[in-house]
Amino acid sequence: MLVFAISDKGGTGRSVTGTNIVYRHALQGNDVCYLDFDFGSPTAGAIFSVSGVSRGTRENGLHEYLRAECPQPRRVDVWAESDREGLRMRPPGAGRLVLLPGSEGGGELSALTDEIVGRCVQLFGRLDEEFDLCMVDVSAGRSFTAELVLAATVRMPTVPFRWLVFHRWTRQHIIAADGLVTGADGLLDVGTRFGHDADDLRDRIRFVRTAVLEPDASELVGLRDEQRAWLSACDSELRELAGRHGVGRTAMLGKIPLDPVLQWREQLITDEDVLASKIANAETAAAFDELAKKIVDDNAWEGL
Amino acid sequence: MLVMGEVHTGLLQNSGEISESTCRQVLAITAGETVRVSRRPIVHALSPERLTGVDCALPAASRSRVRGVGTVVSRCVVTGGRVAQGSSYVRVVRSEADRRLPWSHYLARPGVVEVLGKAKAADLAEGFTGDPAPGCLDLGAVSGRFLDLVQGSPLLDRLAPFKMSRTSLRWVAETGEPSIRFTLHSEQDRTLRLTHPGPFTPAVVDLCEDLATHDWLLTSLLVIVERARIGSTPGAQAAARLTPAIDHLLHLWMPAARVEEWLTPFWDSLERRPGFTRQWHSLVNRVRDQIATNTLALLSTSTEPGRR
Amino acid sequence: MTSVHATFGEVAAERRIASVPLSHVSVELGHLYMEDFEAGPERLREQFRRVAPWLATVRSLWGERVPGGRARVSTCFLVDDYFSRFSTPDELVPMIVDAAAEHDLTIDYLARESACARFEDPRSGGVELARLVEDRLVDDPPQGTDGSRPPVKETGWLCNGSRSPSTAPPQAMGKARPWEPPVQNAKRGHSIFVDVELWDEQGPRRTWSCPFLAAVWQLLRLGLLRSDGRVPLSPVTVRDGWPRDWDQLPAVVRLDPQAAPFSAYTTLSVLSPRFLPVELAVRTILSQVAVDDEVLRQVAGRSESEGVRLEEELVDRISYVFV
Repeated sequence: MLVFAISDKGGTGRSVTGTNIVYRHALQGNDVCYLDFDFGSPTAGAIFSVSGVSRGTRENGLHEYLRAECPQPRRVDVWAESDREGLRMRPPGAGRLVLLPGSEGGGELSALTDEIVGRCVQLFGRLDEEFDLCMVDVSAGRSFTAELVLAATVRMPTVPFRWLVFHRWTRQHIIAADGLVTGADGLLDVGTRFGHDADDLRDRIRFVRTAVLEPDASELVGLRDEQRAWLSACDSELRELAGRHGVGRTAMLGKIPLDPVLQWREQLITDEDVLASKIANAETAAAFDELAKKIVDDNAWEGL
Repeated sequence: MLVMGEVHTGLLQNSGEISESTCRQVLAITAGETVRVSRRPIVHALSPERLTGVDCALPAASRSRVRGVGTVVSRCVVTGGRVAQGSSYVRVVRSEADRRLPWSHYLARPGVVEVLGKAKAADLAEGFTGDPAPGCLDLGAVSGRFLDLVQGSPLLDRLAPFKMSRTSLRWVAETGEPSIRFTLHSEQDRTLRLTHPGPFTPAVVDLCEDLATHDWLLTSLLVIVERARIGSTPGAQAAARLTPAIDHLLHLWMPAARVEEWLTPFWDSLERRPGFTRQWHSLVNRVRDQIATNTLALLSTSTEPGRR
Repeated sequence: MTSVHATFGEVAAERRIASVPLSHVSVELGHLYMEDFEAGPERLREQFRRVAPWLATVRSLWGERVPGGRARVSTCFLVDDYFSRFSTPDELVPMIVDAAAEHDLTIDYLARESACARFEDPRSGGVELARLVEDRLVDDPPQGTDGSRPPVKETGWLCNGSRSPSTAPPQAMGKARPWEPPVQNAKRGHSIFVDVELWDEQGPRRTWSCPFLAAVWQLLRLGLLRSDGRVPLSPVTVRDGWPRDWDQLPAVVRLDPQAAPFSAYTTLSVLSPRFLPVELAVRTILSQVAVDDEVLRQVAGRSESEGVRLEEELVDRISYVFV
């Protein structure tokens, strides 16, 4: 299964959420890989704490592969190459966790050629043979990269794929997320232009809310009643807005609570961070864990 | 001088094994060319051969520049409707000319790469089975694409029963005193050095493909058994994880079934050391024992009094 | 117990290649397009008048080359019914035959150009000769081609070297590259770069280019095409008059029942110089067609057995007279 992670805007926590989902999926016993297609800023290596590729790899990155400058892209075995003590040992029962880094100093694609699409199809096809889940970080907003994966998936109709659209729980983000999917030159528009069926494609798209602050969250205990009432009113207004924009509950796959750790440092949240050092919230890890299950759970993806 | 080849092997991307007639369609990669199928002792289907032109450096252990021009022969193979391969090889010969000739010259010699200038067979053999520098003849990439051709066929549902890496077997064959050396490198890479009596024939390619098939079967069964975590997960769970092996792999083991008689001693010597079939049988027994124990456990719990 | 040697064979696992009867040379006396037809029968007569001495020359040259002097020479004529349809067979065929006879020329075989793309075979249904050839193209590799990437293709085009690389920057905010010329692979000093359009497509309909069909035509005349090991196209004698519709006319018609075989070791085409660029394209294509080596061996074995030495390379078995 291919999962494409995209966001309406930058700074939504797309990459950190995507990597955490992949990590949890591996812990659940699946072989997973993470492809850093965020070509303008390939920093997934930093989130996995692989310092050699924290800003992409110098050789055989995904850019070079797509531009036919190397025969195969480099693979990083996170369990073996991460600098973080807690990640360097593959937990018993966990599957493979592999990162395909982007190229250091890479930029966004400047055009889409048939050859690039062909290489992308080859890459996806081979990874799908080998991994239970391939998460592709597609970067933010409308890009050639998003076009590339839309064009590639048309050519491989039997390979299952899904899209996750990440957005924050604010007015602008809700409107922008909807626009990215249904707007002019959005995913559905471009996807159908490339030959996808609009309804089928829509069924493969779900939203993930990030950095969500629930009005009844424990962090809000110290707030004044007026503040809480205001937050609650905002939240219901946003829910109503989201419903109108097709970003509501039914189209939502999950939400990730606001967690200070993720605000200050983009990293994988291990059980140790929750249980031993207690720097991360248990709810956050649980939300990742649940998303990692839902992403392959067909019940969560039944037609809207 | 020598023959070099590379076989990539993987699980056919389909939920079940495919029928002989589907094999024929999947492997029909050239208009007007017949897919060759043999049915005994296992269905084995061979696509027509296709050529790829190359003009590049050949891998030399000494890192000296050796230029080769010619064509690579490739084909796709499906064994038992379940295991897919992309296989390519070249026969390396000395060129009679010291410059590149018109392309039609090379097309008249399918599967031959002519070396311009000096080269030693041993240097090339070492280089090819060692660590070839980038920019050198890349038979693996060619074979990988031929395997993609099969795996991407619209006739396959892509719902493979389990995920598995492809393996690659890079081989070199020379004429001389018979010997065989099979080496495991990483999890996916293997090399084979073969010295056979008499001149090269395509039967050598069949042997290499047969070895690659069985090495892949063994590697895959090992992975499946490892994933099942026998002993550290509940029996039923482990058994469930082993089932795909029973359904899809165990019946495919038929070493040397399609190998010409004069080459069977090579298989036999690998059976003595490291003993492919010995390891296979031990794994198969482990799988069957686990399933049997689990079935017994299920039976005994369901016949316990008062549980009905 | 003594060991028993077992032999087991499976028919489906073996490969069989049929053979074709072969002349020494197949001479193409002409190629008729709509514009020639519109120019009237005089154009046709003029063509045959120019061809006649060359055919005589070819006969005598081969007579010297073949032991015993009994050279098998067959003649053929190609009518375009692919790019444009004009006239009808019952009107056109007698006209061509008569015009040739005026110059003592006998046309042994008459072929329809569309058959080089696709024709209906009474036994095996639709046969797409052009596809057979397309799948046998092996691109002439520029130096540095190591197999790591698929041959650089412009879909529907075939060239004899490497095209100019793109000057567009490969990534956003990247540098544009300066222009570089295309390069011929087998250049001698300077390049003569040829890029041939093989076909174009409008929707699902593919139109093969004239040079591509001409390349198929040459391969047919050389007897080098096989489909599932069989000879895909054999000449047919028409007994009950010429049809009124081109589709009713067999792909290749034998006009003279006594004629030497249609296919031959070598071909000669006598053409107007306006076909020069087309034939350069044909040679570019043919030099990248991989003919089945079993078929090549058959032809080589046969020619050797009758004491005829053939050029090793395919394109060298094809010759032209431009008049």
